[in-house]
Amino acid sequence: MVVLLAALVLGGLAWLAWRKAGHNTSALAADVPLRPLGRPSGGRSIPAGQLPGGRIVASGLTKRYRDVKAVDSLSFVVEPGRVTGFLGPNGAGKTTTLRMLLGLAEPTAGTATVGGVRYADLDEPVRRVGAVLESGAAHKGRSGRDHLRVLCLEAGLPLARADEVLRLTGLTAAGDRAFGGYSLGMRQRLAVAAALLGDPQVLILDEPGNGLDPEGIRWMRDLLRTLAARGRTILVSSHQLAEMELLADDLIIIADGRLAAMGPLASVVDSMARGGRTLVRTPEPEKLTAALGRDAVVTPGEAGELYVTGVDAAAIGDAAQQAGLAIHQLTTERPDLEAAFLELTTGKAAIR
Amino acid sequence: MSTLSSPALEAARSTGTTPLRLVRAEIMKIRTTSTWWLFLIGFIVFTALALTSNGFSHHFQLYPQQDVSDRAQALAQAAQARTPAGVAAIAASMMTSGQFLGVLFVMLLGSLVVTNEFAYQTATATFLAVPRRTAVVMAKLTAAACFGALFWLVATVLDGVVTPFFLHSQHVSTPLTGWTVLRSVLLNLLAFVLWAVFGLGLGTLIRSQVGSIIAGFAVYLGGFAAMELLFHAFYYFYRAGWVLGGPVIAPSVAANVMITPGQAFPHAPPQWAGLAIMVGYALVLTAGGIVLTLRRDVP
Repeated sequence: MVVLLAALVLGGLAWLAWRKAGHNTSALAADVPLRPLGRPSGGRSIPAGQLPGGRIVASGLTKRYRDVKAVDSLSFVVEPGRVTGFLGPNGAGKTTTLRMLLGLAEPTAGTATVGGVRYADLDEPVRRVGAVLESGAAHKGRSGRDHLRVLCLEAGLPLARADEVLRLTGLTAAGDRAFGGYSLGMRQRLAVAAALLGDPQVLILDEPGNGLDPEGIRWMRDLLRTLAARGRTILVSSHQLAEMELLADDLIIIADGRLAAMGPLASVVDSMARGGRTLVRTPEPEKLTAALGRDAVVTPGEAGELYVTGVDAAAIGDAAQQAGLAIHQLTTERPDLEAAFLELTTGKAAIR
Repeated sequence: MSTLSSPALEAARSTGTTPLRLVRAEIMKIRTTSTWWLFLIGFIVFTALALTSNGFSHHFQLYPQQDVSDRAQALAQAAQARTPAGVAAIAASMMTSGQFLGVLFVMLLGSLVVTNEFAYQTATATFLAVPRRTAVVMAKLTAAACFGALFWLVATVLDGVVTPFFLHSQHVSTPLTGWTVLRSVLLNLLAFVLWAVFGLGLGTLIRSQVGSIIAGFAVYLGGFAAMELLFHAFYYFYRAGWVLGGPVIAPSVAANVMITPGQAFPHAPPQWAGLAIMVGYALVLTAGGIVLTLRRDVP
């Protein structure tokens, strides 16, 4: 009877394996051709967007945990050659989204692909996609070098590559020490080292700045910018907005599991410009206030300047000219990323 | 930024992920932490203790004490122990010393092969490197079996060094390459390997390290008692001999039946049934673990 049971289970397994293989072939039929990572790209710079299969596409990505929709019909595209910031408040679904991209969590609905292929179906995933996740961790008793060598073995990479990425991340001296003794910053560097093992064309990083000192943050920024400039796809989640303003070309902002904004950093911030205000200096503030009309909301500043919202700088200039008033300063105060972010996300994630 | 170039990647042809490399990776994971040699030291100590205690019990079997209660029966048993078959049985028992706690070590090591990945959150890195999760579990199974065999080898070498001296000191002799001894030693290997796989299956089903260790202890030490109690109670209502063989469904009883030529206990099922049940457990646990590993998200 036991043998029969075992045979049944084995049969079930074979069926599962066959089904998985079936997935594979259907995914390969997608539009972007799968090519092995171009090794000759080693030292040369490649124009943005020319690496094959570096594009990340999420479409209708949904993850439901019992009653809660952690991620809800999320669709976005991440282009090669650019650093894309993935922003959202705590609990917005950033990490869940990234884990679905990486095949660690199964989406309830929707798909996520890298170069048109699901991560789980990638031929040599480590050579195509590198990932730094928040849980980037190693056994506390294992040395950083051994941790990387294990990954090399698993990924089919030469063991010597472990030493290269240790050098690349400034960890050579700490390579033989046990992971348990690493500082937070060293752990983060080791996670980056692991992500770089396969010299991948796509890097996905979840909060890579956590625990890094200013020098480390600058190192990370330079590394990611360099990789993007060489045509790699960089998707980096964070809620360090100031760092994102320095680092990101594009932004994807999510709140409560849904897309709140997506596009180049400047245009995401500008789209919030309606919330911005204009600073005006004029010798005759009362007359200007009267001339501006009903749409404008004018708040006098402490030094006699005016802050105007509701109308833009051009309208203020026109009104002043028609009223024959002098203007000494007319400055549009652009909302910064923080203002845009808060406007897009505040209140939406309050429940969690 | 020239630092990004990789001589290592450029020099080597990509081998891709092969089953052999995955097994090597799993063995490396065990080898690069202290757990396995701590286990090995504990295992050697326990094997030495078991050898000593086995030695004493066989000594008194061959040479009954003067003050033993039923001296006539003891002398008759001693005479039987001195027959070639009797000596071979003693040699077989000595050559498998350390099995009782040894397989417990191996089972725990097997479960650690899986639960360590979750306890230290390395499962993420592993499944990123190898998204084909079935392949990972199979590699772990092979690695666990290898370590089971390694522990068996260590015990057998230790037993093999001590046993000739012991037999000589007791003025009995038997070839250690005789079938009785050889069969026991090989069945012992089977037990070590199957318990390692059993532990691995347990680890895939119960990801919590503490949980799977407790479950392992409970199954190994408690399963026997629980089944004895259950089937003896059942026998009270339904007096058929085979009922008393029922406890064989407890893994530790099945393993005992499997390694014991002849009857392990009164009404015990045949040896092959014990083997089938142990193999069945190993297969079902591992298969269940693979299904769960495929279905569950990596935490």
